[in-house]
Amino acid sequence: MSVFQTRPALRWLVPTGAALAILGGGAAVGTFASAAEPNLPERSAAQLLVDLQTARLDGLSGTVIKRADLGLPSLPGIGGRGSAELTSLVSGTHTLRVWHAGPDKTRVALLGTLGETDVIRNGKDVWIWDSQANKAEHSTLDGQPTGRPGHLPTTPQEAAEQALAAVDPSTRVSVGRSASIAGRDAYELVLEPRDATSLVGQITIAIDAAEHVPLRFQVVPQGTSKPAFEVAFTQIDFERPDPAQFVFNPPPGTVVTEGARPDGKPMALPAEVERPTVVGKGWTSVLVAEVPQLAEVAKVAETDGAEAALLRSVLGGLPEVNGAWGTGRIVTGKLFTALLTDDGRVLVGAVTPERLYEVAQSTR
Amino acid sequence: MSAVDSPADVPPGSSPATGATASGAVASSAVASGAFPGGTVSPGTVRRRGWRSGRTGRARFFRSELRLVFGRRRNQAGMAALAAVPVIIAVALRVTDGPTEAGRDPGFFSAISGNGFFVALAALGAELGLFLPIAVAAIAGDSIAGEANSGTLRYLLTVPVGRTRLLAVKYAAIVVFVATVTLLVAAIGLLAGLALFGGGPVTLLSGVQVSLAEGLLRLLGVCAYLTVGLCALGAVGLFVSTLTEQPMGATIATTMLAVTSFVLDSIPQLDWLHPYLLTHHWQAFVELLRDPVAFDALRPGLLSAAGYAVVFLSAAWARFGGRDVTS
Repeated sequence: MSVFQTRPALRWLVPTGAALAILGGGAAVGTFASAAEPNLPERSAAQLLVDLQTARLDGLSGTVIKRADLGLPSLPGIGGRGSAELTSLVSGTHTLRVWHAGPDKTRVALLGTLGETDVIRNGKDVWIWDSQANKAEHSTLDGQPTGRPGHLPTTPQEAAEQALAAVDPSTRVSVGRSASIAGRDAYELVLEPRDATSLVGQITIAIDAAEHVPLRFQVVPQGTSKPAFEVAFTQIDFERPDPAQFVFNPPPGTVVTEGARPDGKPMALPAEVERPTVVGKGWTSVLVAEVPQLAEVAKVAETDGAEAALLRSVLGGLPEVNGAWGTGRIVTGKLFTALLTDDGRVLVGAVTPERLYEVAQSTR
Repeated sequence: MSAVDSPADVPPGSSPATGATASGAVASSAVASGAFPGGTVSPGTVRRRGWRSGRTGRARFFRSELRLVFGRRRNQAGMAALAAVPVIIAVALRVTDGPTEAGRDPGFFSAISGNGFFVALAALGAELGLFLPIAVAAIAGDSIAGEANSGTLRYLLTVPVGRTRLLAVKYAAIVVFVATVTLLVAAIGLLAGLALFGGGPVTLLSGVQVSLAEGLLRLLGVCAYLTVGLCALGAVGLFVSTLTEQPMGATIATTMLAVTSFVLDSIPQLDWLHPYLLTHHWQAFVELLRDPVAFDALRPGLLSAAGYAVVFLSAAWARFGGRDVTS
């Protein structure tokens, strides 16, 4: 202490040291946690695939972080951090809390800054609770899963299942380096599309070494190493949660809507739109839809109505492209490309623009 | 400088005047309230074994500091303004019959018409954005700079009170003030809400109902969590206050730091920076209103507040202990 009295300048070492220790300590813990490569007995990709499919999950609860950075042009009302609306899952970072006790008892809570949306399944009952609107939606299942907007995977399990469905001869499967996720040792399964026109570089699934449950799911776009989409547990507990966790009684004053959700079609398409067709297979399949209104908007410069004006202003900001297939506008994200042609077609796929032009040419 | 507005028996300052103007503020502090008899001025040296060292002296100093913070008219007016917000919220919602359509309004406003309990939370949530930080910044900014500005700091130190102890007592008073205003807003909100809307079981964010008693317990937890977060801002304010002799400047600087933190926190492109921001974790108080409560989610906020407090309190100590007190 006396040193501090005679040399007051030395006192500044204390706050500086504290700041460095706190920042450095925090960073070091983070780096060690992510760099730690647990020593695990070797396991082949095929064994891991089997592990995944045969995992017997009694129950779990945990916290899931979902990050999506799809390179979408920012649109008002979509995505964002801290929103508790289910449709906002399309982009941004979100925290979810999950409880799972058998296939017919699940609860997923999307945590917003000042609200929460819960999707609770208990037996045949499915509740969707929205704390901010004070609304609850009840439906009864007859063996069908709930339709979440866009079927975005909300848990690593769901995501892994969707990816495994895509494992076919078009995919190279390998084992990556082991990782430590949510304090647990995990193997990493790497899926790579063989087709170079796919925008997906690789998909990695981290699988818990003991429980064989997917702990993390990442989609890395072609040519980068930073995942554009990630679902990962930050905390997990394999205890079977309390059954009371899955009981939902709408609190008094809640607006309760009854009814089954429209089956299979998460978002109602306008009646004029024809059912879209899928061209190609696997990673490079392209969705082609006819949207006649689009052609009208492109042709008629002065269409009346606020909706058309809004559509025009959105379309106007997109880069124009043309080729043998015609002219149109293109939306490029990190994991998908969409082409809106002036003759009223929409082509979407996780592929390069060149592949879309090819499809546009062939489906004219 | 201090000679401008100090009594005639003040020895002239040993350093050149820095141009501080007489603020006309209430002559602050223990000297005015008579807690400290005058002593010999021995500038530059800090005696650690203080006057009447031990518990009584410390308690007396602390008490006089509290009297200072809570006795000042401007602080009382500020607290009244903070307490008015929940009343305004409750009355406004009562008069307009509440929102007819369950919209996506921020905070807990839509829940108020069903249960007056939520007035407290809505008021805390609303004031957290600016009012509470300003109140904390005003008290913390005034703590050292206010004494320096009104020329009483040197007397405090000649008493002699160790500088470290002076800082500790000042910060303790800030902590008490923060806890008091947070509880005050919650309590007034609760009273106004229960009086105008009635109480009853509390619906949590997860759609689960708990008894009013458990709701009150959770509200208390919210107040405690917010107190910790605001005390970190108080530590920053105390440090800024040691840098200047203008209490207003310290207050404004601290408020601006808080507002800057809010602004940076709302820019999604800076998400790598967000966990380090002073105000980032404050909103996590809503975690206490979910079921089951994940206390893990509160940990980052508490750790970050502790980190800020340690760094800025030690910085305040380094700055204050090493500087020449001339006013």
